[in-house]
Amino acid sequence: MSHQAPVRRIVRLLAACALVAAWLGTAAPAAMASPATATRQTTGYLRLAHLSPNAPAVDVYLYSVGNSNAMIVVHHVTYGTVSAYQAVPVGDYTVAMRGAGKPSTSPPVLSTTVRIQAGHAYTVAGMGPAAGLRLQVLDDALTTPPGRALVRVIQASLKEHKVTVTAGGQTLTKNLAFGSATSYVSVPAGTWNVHVTGGTMSASKSVSLPANTTHTIVVLDDPGRLAIDPLTDAAGSNLMPAGAPGTGLGGMAPRPASSPLPWVAVMALGALVVAAGLLGLRRRGRAWPASGPHAR
Amino acid sequence: MSLTSRGRRRAAPRLAPAQDETPAQDETPPPRDTSQAAPPGRRWARPGPLALAGRPAVVAVGIGLLLAGSGAVGLLITRHTGHVPPHVARVKPVLPPVGPQQQTPAPEVAERVPPPVSLTIPVIGVRTRLIRLRLTRSGVLQVPGSPAVAGWYTGSPPPGAVGSSVIAGHVDSYLGPGVFYRLRLLHRGERIYVREAGGRVALFLVSSVRLYKQTRFPRASVYGPTPTPTLRLITCGGTFDYQTRGYLSNVVVYATLAS
Repeated sequence: MSHQAPVRRIVRLLAACALVAAWLGTAAPAAMASPATATRQTTGYLRLAHLSPNAPAVDVYLYSVGNSNAMIVVHHVTYGTVSAYQAVPVGDYTVAMRGAGKPSTSPPVLSTTVRIQAGHAYTVAGMGPAAGLRLQVLDDALTTPPGRALVRVIQASLKEHKVTVTAGGQTLTKNLAFGSATSYVSVPAGTWNVHVTGGTMSASKSVSLPANTTHTIVVLDDPGRLAIDPLTDAAGSNLMPAGAPGTGLGGMAPRPASSPLPWVAVMALGALVVAAGLLGLRRRGRAWPASGPHAR
Repeated sequence: MSLTSRGRRRAAPRLAPAQDETPAQDETPPPRDTSQAAPPGRRWARPGPLALAGRPAVVAVGIGLLLAGSGAVGLLITRHTGHVPPHVARVKPVLPPVGPQQQTPAPEVAERVPPPVSLTIPVIGVRTRLIRLRLTRSGVLQVPGSPAVAGWYTGSPPPGAVGSSVIAGHVDSYLGPGVFYRLRLLHRGERIYVREAGGRVALFLVSSVRLYKQTRFPRASVYGPTPTPTLRLITCGGTFDYQTRGYLSNVVVYATLAS
């Protein structure tokens, strides 16, 4: 065995080291995968209401157009009931009302179609007197002017055919007829005393209307009096934070890509010293066979 | 103490002569000499593996290899990005909270939902109390003082009430992971529990997880109104800017109340 074999091995090792270093310098900073799941909004919102004072309780069915199986059934909906919003896929729907407890195969008393658009909200309400009951589709507001609240009124009282509604000092509607709804009115944010006056009866209620919220105030018949039902249609942060929150201090962040030069320099210096050492060994090595015992 | 030290002192001189006697008993010279210029033809001059260690050239090769090796290790350490310590990579399982579950609230404002007190996300091992967050003087959302707790923004509806409720927490501290370190690992349909001050528990289901550049943070969709009870969990993500000492992106988890 010659002494040159370990030398070659060392040279090979150095070459491998250099290769690894080159790879580390170029390929190591791997890109971080984005966790974001991009899904587009494909749903809208729908709620159902019974606002006809002298109409009996009903079962409300929601059908996707072209499908005879009801998607949602709400049983025994009585006067004054407003459901919570349901998120439903975008598309055309049929809302049908049947007398409470009637079979789902029986012909509906009333029906209407509603087109649900992405990100929009709708109220489908049974309105008017029992004799002239109709299903009305209301477009609900979700966003407000900055710093303000939006309010609308639905007049569902038969006791007072026309009502005037104020919030604080602001008049929301004057002589609103039974079975109708106003459009949204912008009001300053705050807690306001909502006052409803008809011909003889009146009612009032303190209603919180924070900024960035939308509301529907329903005027209802209560036994012997008027009632106010304030609904929150949508709510967001009443003071919208500026910018984006700084919720990280960097302890788990990938380290910055520092310059590899100092380390490469150290490696180069090492390689140089090894080379010098090998050179020295080689020179000495030539002398060994002559001086070694095998030479004899 | 004094006894043992005296014992040692006594032992030392006894050993010394024994070493001195060795060359006298064995005529062979100490092997140390072989490393020096060996006179040709002498048997013990043959360079064995141990003898090599004494040669300056071999020492140079050794030192050189050591240098090159340490250079490679240094390069490896500084280039190795996105390192996660093993104790952080493991998720400690957390059980969902027990308590009466909140029903989908009636849309009446009258039904006041109490403020939240704690947050549990079993699948990523989050269990934290919730502090109250307001806005800073510059109008930016406050962040919790401790990276280990999350906070509810009091300007947003309480979780479970109609509207978009905002909860923020740190992704990390200066040293290690924060309460929302694994927030970005959540998937659609996974469960988030919020306990109200009254003891009721609201169950939310993740609807989406997004990563936004801070310069393009969609304030309207995060803080804007929703017609159903929803939750937005916010933390940092993306690249960390070592110049400004802050992350350049935000992770937002959107969730809706389970009905």
